[in-house]
Amino acid sequence: MTGSLNVLAAAIAILGVMPSALGEGLVCAHALDGMSRNPEMYGKLRTSMILACALVETTAIYSLLISILILFTK
Amino acid sequence: MPEESNNIFSNFFKINIAGELVSSLIVILIIVILSLIVGIMAAKHDPLKKPKGLLLIAEMGVNFFDNFSRDLVGTALPNFGGFIMGVAMYLFISFIFGLTGLPSPVTYMAVPLSLGLTTFLLIHYTSARYTKWRYFKRYIDPIPIFLPINLISMWAPLLSLTLRLFGNAIAGWALLSIVEYALRDLSSTLFSFIQSEWNQVFLAPLPLAILHAYFDVFSGLIQTFVFILLTSIFIGQEIPEDITLNTMERRKN
Repeated sequence: MTGSLNVLAAAIAILGVMPSALGEGLVCAHALDGMSRNPEMYGKLRTSMILACALVETTAIYSLLISILILFTK
Repeated sequence: MPEESNNIFSNFFKINIAGELVSSLIVILIIVILSLIVGIMAAKHDPLKKPKGLLLIAEMGVNFFDNFSRDLVGTALPNFGGFIMGVAMYLFISFIFGLTGLPSPVTYMAVPLSLGLTTFLLIHYTSARYTKWRYFKRYIDPIPIFLPINLISMWAPLLSLTLRLFGNAIAGWALLSIVEYALRDLSSTLFSFIQSEWNQVFLAPLPLAILHAYFDVFSGLIQTFVFILLTSIFIGQEIPEDITLNTMERRKN
């Protein structure tokens, strides 16, 4: 069973998703800026935006992975 | 990790390997059979007629990956599109293999690790092939005192590629398991007037289908694309520019 310190450690590890969420918000905001300035680039910008979101998401996934490992490994 | 499925597999085949690796072998078998079918169709097809059906899809895929590798890697490695297409097919089919109910190969650390290791070895092989002895200069890059830092940072692509794939797959798996468990419990509470263990099955199917569509198909597609994009960029930046320009001129003449 996981002790209470392990739960606390997992909670601290998952805090790493916060800056990643901010970064994703920045990516989307700037992509929307570009889209509203020249709407003919909409398709290309959307593809790049999804790719950039997936790249930014990686750090959040690292923290999720670490907290899952802390919680579920004995 | 999904241990019950491991037991089913090892009892069925009487061999002691992880279930995810059996899934990986099945995925490879699917790709080999698909490639054989497409190869036979392409050999029998009249090249002057328009391709149809599976052959058309295969030609579009080959065209896409050839253009993709020419944009990112350049013309110095002419067969790189085939490698990228193989990796992309394997990764995408592995991601959507979780839809069949069998364990997805990407949730087993060895599978993303071996894919990342392939990219890592290719990066260093390409660098050593094109820069010869100047390859070792990368370890002492600005000044020799950077040697320990460079020796550590050389593992960064391997780690980031491996953990990105594994983390995505395992996060989707964990979230789906939690939702499935919760919906099963809720359903058996709500429909407790049905005196059978079948009262667990009413709520789960629809939300789980939507979550599967996101975490397996959409996320799998995105992660496959990110993986091949990063692989191509990492390998493409190891090829010196004059070699790329030379091969481009040779192609033109």
